[in-house]
Amino acid sequence: MEYAITFMVIITLNFMLPRMMPGDPFLHLSGEGGEEVWAFTAEQRQYFIEYYGLDRPLPEQYARYLTGLIQGDMGVSYYYKDQVSSIILRRLPWTLMIVAGATLLSLLLGTVLGSFSAFHRESWKDKSLYLLMIVFSEIPAFLLGIVLLIIFAAGMGLFPLSGAMRHFANYTGWEHVKNVLHHAALPVITLSLARVGGIYLLVRNTFTTVMGKDYIRTARAKGLTEKRIRYYHALRNALLPLVTRVALQMGAMVGGAVLVENVFAYPGLGLLMRQAVFVRDYPLLQGIFLVLAFGVLGANLLADLLYRVLDPRTRGQETA
Amino acid sequence: MVLEVRNLSVTYQAEGAPVRALQEISFSLKEGDTLGIIGESGSGKTTLGLALMGLIGGKDRVEGNAYFRGTEFLSFSDKGKKALRWKHIAMVFQNSLEVLNPVLNIGEQVGEPLKKHLYLKGKELEARVEELFQLVGLDPQWKEAFPHQLSGGMRQRVLIAMALSCKPELLLVDEPTTSLDPVSRKEMIELLGRLQQEYGFTLVVISHDLSCISRLTSRLLALYGGRVVEEGLTEELLEDPFHPYSRGLINSSPHYFAYKDLWGIPGEPPTGQEAGCSFHSRCSQALESCREGVPALQQVCCERRVACHRGGIVTILEASGLKKEYRLKKRVLQAVNGVDLYIKEGEVAALVGETGSGKSTVAQMLGRLMKPTAGDITFRGEKFYNGVTRQENGIQIVMQDPFSSTSHRLTVEQVLREPLDINKIGTSQERSSRVREALEQVQLPWGTDFLKRFCFELSGGQRQRVAIARALVMKPALLLADEITSMLDPSTQANLLRLLKGLQNSKGFAMLFITHDLELARKVADRVMVMKQGEIVETGSSRRLFTDPCCCHTKELIDAAFGEHQHVHKSHHHPHTHEHVHKHKTQH
Repeated sequence: MEYAITFMVIITLNFMLPRMMPGDPFLHLSGEGGEEVWAFTAEQRQYFIEYYGLDRPLPEQYARYLTGLIQGDMGVSYYYKDQVSSIILRRLPWTLMIVAGATLLSLLLGTVLGSFSAFHRESWKDKSLYLLMIVFSEIPAFLLGIVLLIIFAAGMGLFPLSGAMRHFANYTGWEHVKNVLHHAALPVITLSLARVGGIYLLVRNTFTTVMGKDYIRTARAKGLTEKRIRYYHALRNALLPLVTRVALQMGAMVGGAVLVENVFAYPGLGLLMRQAVFVRDYPLLQGIFLVLAFGVLGANLLADLLYRVLDPRTRGQETA
Repeated sequence: MVLEVRNLSVTYQAEGAPVRALQEISFSLKEGDTLGIIGESGSGKTTLGLALMGLIGGKDRVEGNAYFRGTEFLSFSDKGKKALRWKHIAMVFQNSLEVLNPVLNIGEQVGEPLKKHLYLKGKELEARVEELFQLVGLDPQWKEAFPHQLSGGMRQRVLIAMALSCKPELLLVDEPTTSLDPVSRKEMIELLGRLQQEYGFTLVVISHDLSCISRLTSRLLALYGGRVVEEGLTEELLEDPFHPYSRGLINSSPHYFAYKDLWGIPGEPPTGQEAGCSFHSRCSQALESCREGVPALQQVCCERRVACHRGGIVTILEASGLKKEYRLKKRVLQAVNGVDLYIKEGEVAALVGETGSGKSTVAQMLGRLMKPTAGDITFRGEKFYNGVTRQENGIQIVMQDPFSSTSHRLTVEQVLREPLDINKIGTSQERSSRVREALEQVQLPWGTDFLKRFCFELSGGQRQRVAIARALVMKPALLLADEITSMLDPSTQANLLRLLKGLQNSKGFAMLFITHDLELARKVADRVMVMKQGEIVETGSSRRLFTDPCCCHTKELIDAAFGEHQHVHKSHHHPHTHEHVHKHKTQH
């Protein structure tokens, strides 16, 4: 139910936001390439405005938008002259890949380093790791991306400078996968490094708290092995806040992805969005916003479900 | 020997100063022994349990030795300790919301040690877990449940089932009855008792709950500030504590003897910085010399050891063969006929009996208002002499009738100053301040207008309080209170009694409380003596005497005083016999 309401609010905002931007799509249809600079005449503009229904009152536009959405129609891009849904579908996998990759990588890295720090609390290992993590989490993702790009791609030539795969090369099977991963590596690493600090701090803290709980003492008294105490009794409890945290961070993660894609010219939704903003392509913008919002919301839903599996205490509330 | 502990000390490495939680604890337990450990919070009870489980480590230091079946195990490696834990020594932790892992179901948590130590798997494991659940009176269906779904009583049962899973030879139980309702409490005590009998494991019970301790254990340690201050057989120690601290614990226990008023031990728990005996600042019989050196635990009689510079609670007054004869014209009346009694430092002893049984005569002889015909009285180990009622730390008496015990014609100030003036105690200024202090203690005004009032202007309750203040001015070590409330109305009586008992508790003087009112005696007395026809027929702790009297005269008195209550009590249990009880009552 909460999700349905949230969803409605998002759709409405989504509809309003592009229309509140200054400017108008048909001033920019001329493109920015520079070679074919020509402006619409007043009649032409009028024609397009009528053609796309932009002269109608807002409520009517809104109603049309909604009915379109229900039928799975996101409209037609003014700029690309193509179905918004198909444009987005072409770009979505790339963004999904780097967001998922960065989430997994930062989770893995954060949990491993965080628990390491918690078990060596107050030692020099913990202290130096802590400092390093704080520094990394304070650097904005795009800045980090540029630095990495300069050092590893431009400087050392270890990674490609831009794009998601090598064009005009007919790779097959494994070669193709390798190529795609090679291109995704820097964006994913950038995004992970920017996000890992928060996860590290959370894991370090919750692990320290959990290890001091009575039930850990009980487990220890039972003569269980240190491994079982840490990775069975403690980890399951320490992961609970992490699930919530990752879901809440999903918005920031997607925001980070938009910036990182622009830095690496990675052909995901982020790059597409920048172009759409440039040309005031309302339907495309609305489509991108919607898909991103939907993704974040979906991640939250997933986290809620996962939480229910992990924590029996929230399971009980369902029946109550 | 299943367990032998020698000079066990634990120091917590807190920020700043280290905290000594346990200091040189020694005791040993044979197969099937049961040991109780009592003490205030922070006395080190739980630390002792954790130390024996090998759960104190890291920065915190554990010193001394502990032997399990002759093998020192505190020095074991982590691996060695893990092998010993649960399989041989198990612990029922104090019940709390987080004592069980919230995300694992209880069946798994109970079964875990079986997997680890006994290598049980699959069906066998399942069956054993169900067996354990049944053993502690839980439906095996509950094994799928998670800790947050259990009540406090059920959680306690799970903890016991878990502890018994590998059939340990030594079971440590930490506060098994706290936070349980009365029914669960009773069931839990019965369950533990039954399991101990069945399995014959050696049992250590750590608890505040003295009735639980007395039901489950045969020996007892009292811990104070991390040290054992008294050790003995449970029954004897609770009946007759030798250390002032043990007595204080018993007096503050609501479960042990429900009728008695609750009075806590005055003062604050030890900080560990005290010089000498750590209890001396709260002790009723502390001397200056108690600040020097820590008292060692010493044998005082068989099966009893006490750590006290004074060898335990001192007997302050002792009378033997006390007799008083009144010679009438023709015959000799034996008012008191060979009474032997003692009063210990800081205790409230009640002398009860019918009117005419010689109680007041005894009081007057002890207060040196009357010479005994025969018999010896010693006060603080010395033969009775005139000085005892004329000095500080002596004996003072407060009598029944407030109107004749203080003179009408004197002002309040004169009454209170008189003993100090006569005995030349202190300077004039000191005397005035002591008068004010005494008035303050009995909650009377101490302004000049009150001091200048004549005694006849005061009410009965006020005059009795003035009489008590007059006694307190002399800072007595023993106060004889002879029927002091019998002429007061119930409300004044209640106020006065609570005031007096409160003063007794905080000042720590001993009191002989003479009354014919058993209800009052039951509320205030630590120990009761019953008199009949000039003789003491029975004596014992108030709990023992009121719940299980030996002498038929005592039974008669108790039946007369409380008989009716007991019948009412019975009718609660058997509502269908209500009518019958009514008939019974009218016959009485």
